[in-house]
Amino acid sequence: MSKLGQVVESIEKYNKFVLDQVKRARTDEKFGRELLGRWNDTKAKIPLSRTPTGLPLPRLALPEIDEPGEIARYLFADGLPGEFPFLNGAYREMYLEPIREVESFEKNGEPPQRPARPPLPQAEEPTRLFSGLMLAEDTNERFHYLTQHQRTHRLSTAFDGPTLYGIDSDADGVFGKIGEGGVAIDTVEDMVRLYDSFDLGSPNFSASMTISGPAPIIMAMYIAAAKRRFGPKVVPKLRGTIQADIFKEVQAQNETIFPIEASLRFLTDMVEFTTREMPRWYPISISGYHIGEAGSTPVQQAAYTLSNGFAYAEMFAARGIPVDQFGPRLSFFLDCGLDVEYIALARVSRRVWAIGMREVFGAGPRAQLFKLHTQTSGRSLIAAEFKNNLTRTAAELMLAYMNATNSCHSNSADEPFTTPSEEWIRLAAHGQAILLEESGIFKHTMNMLSGSPGMKAVERSVEAAILDEFREIERLGGVLAAVEDRYQRSQIQNAAHRYEEQIYNGTRPIIGLNRYRDGGEEIPEVKLTRTPRKKQQLQVDRLAKFKKKNAEKAKRALDKLADAAERGENCFPVLLEAAEVCSLGQISGRLQEVVGRFRPMV
Amino acid sequence: MASPIRILTAVPICDGHDSAINTINLEFIRHGIEVIYLGYHRSVGDIVRAAIQEDVRAIGISSYNGGHIEFFAEVVGLLRKRGANDIKVFGGGGGTITHEDALAMKRKGVDNIFFAGTSLAEMTDYVRKHYGGPRGKRSRPKSPGQELAHRLTAIEDAYARAKRSTSKVQRVMPNKKIRDSKFEIRNSSKARVIGFTGPGGAGKTTLIDELVLRFLNQNPKGRIAILSHDPSVIGEGALLGDRATMINSQNDRVFMRSMATRGQAGGLSPATQDCLTLLARSGFDYVIIETVGTGQEAMPFQKNGIVNQTVLVMNPDYGSRLQLQKIVMLDLADVVVVNKSDLQRARTAHTEIEQRLEQNRRNQQLIDTVAKRHRDPGVDELFGLISRSEL
Repeated sequence: MSKLGQVVESIEKYNKFVLDQVKRARTDEKFGRELLGRWNDTKAKIPLSRTPTGLPLPRLALPEIDEPGEIARYLFADGLPGEFPFLNGAYREMYLEPIREVESFEKNGEPPQRPARPPLPQAEEPTRLFSGLMLAEDTNERFHYLTQHQRTHRLSTAFDGPTLYGIDSDADGVFGKIGEGGVAIDTVEDMVRLYDSFDLGSPNFSASMTISGPAPIIMAMYIAAAKRRFGPKVVPKLRGTIQADIFKEVQAQNETIFPIEASLRFLTDMVEFTTREMPRWYPISISGYHIGEAGSTPVQQAAYTLSNGFAYAEMFAARGIPVDQFGPRLSFFLDCGLDVEYIALARVSRRVWAIGMREVFGAGPRAQLFKLHTQTSGRSLIAAEFKNNLTRTAAELMLAYMNATNSCHSNSADEPFTTPSEEWIRLAAHGQAILLEESGIFKHTMNMLSGSPGMKAVERSVEAAILDEFREIERLGGVLAAVEDRYQRSQIQNAAHRYEEQIYNGTRPIIGLNRYRDGGEEIPEVKLTRTPRKKQQLQVDRLAKFKKKNAEKAKRALDKLADAAERGENCFPVLLEAAEVCSLGQISGRLQEVVGRFRPMV
Repeated sequence: MASPIRILTAVPICDGHDSAINTINLEFIRHGIEVIYLGYHRSVGDIVRAAIQEDVRAIGISSYNGGHIEFFAEVVGLLRKRGANDIKVFGGGGGTITHEDALAMKRKGVDNIFFAGTSLAEMTDYVRKHYGGPRGKRSRPKSPGQELAHRLTAIEDAYARAKRSTSKVQRVMPNKKIRDSKFEIRNSSKARVIGFTGPGGAGKTTLIDELVLRFLNQNPKGRIAILSHDPSVIGEGALLGDRATMINSQNDRVFMRSMATRGQAGGLSPATQDCLTLLARSGFDYVIIETVGTGQEAMPFQKNGIVNQTVLVMNPDYGSRLQLQKIVMLDLADVVVVNKSDLQRARTAHTEIEQRLEQNRRNQQLIDTVAKRHRDPGVDELFGLISRSEL
């Protein structure tokens, strides 16, 4: 049985454990009293918050139960926010406003006391907007624009097509793709320009890089760029995330450049390095987003993302990296669309992850956390009557926060036709601020909307369906075998076809498209962001200069890299050296000579 | 009546968005169109080379990652440069291609761009209306590859006409001496013809692609042809998708042609024999012919004197030992390959097949391969065996 099979068993076992505890709480009087005591104690300690109109509310809402069995069910099956199995949230207070006045809920009505401010769990800053366009300096400018009002600088980087495929900008036939849909990065010098005048070692800075196929090479370039600007001592201070999710590429997004096993090996090389040398870095973002966008059902998205995660955990553990070292450095990325499953998809995922990691991998509390970045669904947005996309995104944001996501990206309404423009980016970002800061929905009380009967019903149903998917993958021999068998790919493609059919036959209403369509074709006139030819030529010229300058050194570095790859040792340290003097395409090309190229699955 | 419409579809380089094209491919083949699918992340050179070799009526490009104006223009430009003006270009990209872009693209020679919201039926109708009519008089080919491609089309068309009219095939090519060839497609008997067959999913295409890589590396000037087959579906369309998974065979020294079975059972097309004859004397070092995934009773190459060597590619999961007795090709193949020999069952499979072959007393070779693995020693061995038999 693979680890995934064990995960299924551990969850079944845990659910049975919960039922046993419920029974015990009802029959074992001492245990029942203990639970009730703990429950009342917890409730008594909940501080109060006050709404702008002066209404007092508890900072944590709990179900109104006083029967030991039900208390046991709540505490063990769901857990308080920030407690195992984390159904209600990875942290205790998530989006709550900082405490101004602390009062005891039970003592409501008495004059407010002012005890010392209790430490607040640090929630992630919830705005991290994905951007990347044209050349490094253009994206850098966009980054500065986006972060001008933010106290922390959290950048999220989109790369152009050639970069995502590990190809240089001077490669045959890619000229028109330079800087399109993301930023063009060929060398360490581009990387220096990309994050220019941001303080990479600062605790208030983090960089996220959305790239998987050539992720270890790009990671090495980032480190090299940071060293150039701040010296070698900056390395352990670097914060950020690189996507590096090979499984989802093969399952859904098709941006893989090496054969699967070689890709996984280079990934593990990188993870081994970063967990040791860069303790604040997230070396992989296990992503369901692209699986969802490629057309999967919500359940497939969660099931494949989680099972991919467990497969990575198994690989890293097999390399000898301790689970409590790599576990806290794993992060997740999910899609949030308008289907009803999204009411609880991330909640259930958090629970499944925590139980599996604790029971099967022996993970400690920090390594049990399913740290989640959510993005609203790009697929749910359409070009026709595109301003409706604002409403779609707002509804999706609401769902994402109901799932207590740690951070969020809201899509711009103009995304169906272009790289988002500043006007619509601003509206998208402000959608988040309106929900979290302006509205009272999330800032006064944790669990404000958690645990409704409908939500519970979705949770149960979604969890059962996820476990069914796990069983099927296990039956196919585990995640890697299933991937090579194209199982996930076929399932996703099948679901995508069904979705299109439903739109076509009207059983899936899309307002403005197959319902309430207003007359003829509306083609929105939006200003498009395109990379001028002059800039594309500039990128090619810069690359030529870099290659010429480093020709000798590059040759030696590539030989050394090929040697390390051939010998099967950890390539990352040599890759770091190569990133100083070689271009992305030179490195990926040389590695492909050793390990081969990815053979597409269709 | 003419042959089914043949078109080529692809997604441009640095673009992995294949969801739309997958849906459209299926719709096309349901409506009787033969689609040669080249896959995603494909360069202009690969697309144009494939389109000329396959001699398609049009190329459909699905682009979602930007740079479409340049990319489409380069495809049109290269087609013209190679003398393939008769191959038309159309495409789409959801909302990423604006109306203004589309106008610019049309000015550069693109036939049509489908915008977001175009129904599948509209696209199919467009293709049938614009690329379904009879071909005009063909201009003189500009390269040997193009000439060969035209001749192969003529053979396929002749069989298609014969089938519709139930008349005898007017064999266009192989029985006649080629006199008017500008490029001396001569009566060369040099090519070694190797037939690959075996059940679907055994990994024939991957194995061939890996052999091609070895051939290209070992013979810096050598040329190789591949004749690949996929089944026609009801309604007479076909998805010819072997090229999509081939990474080494996209090369100017490789001539590949994909054929649909067009209603013939047994893994080959009615026109196969004639096409193969033509390829075998067109100056290639090797001609590889790949059947569709076959069943137990298939013996596609038995009566075909042209094939010098037959390779049966097996999957270790063939079922019980008894099943082996029923596979006719096990008696006929010169080489039997157990591919995917990294699977748990591979050892058992090897032993059982070995025993089965010993009964034949024909000195058949048995090789284990893992074709998906880079530099697989089993594939090296197979390559050695094939090259040695040349002597």
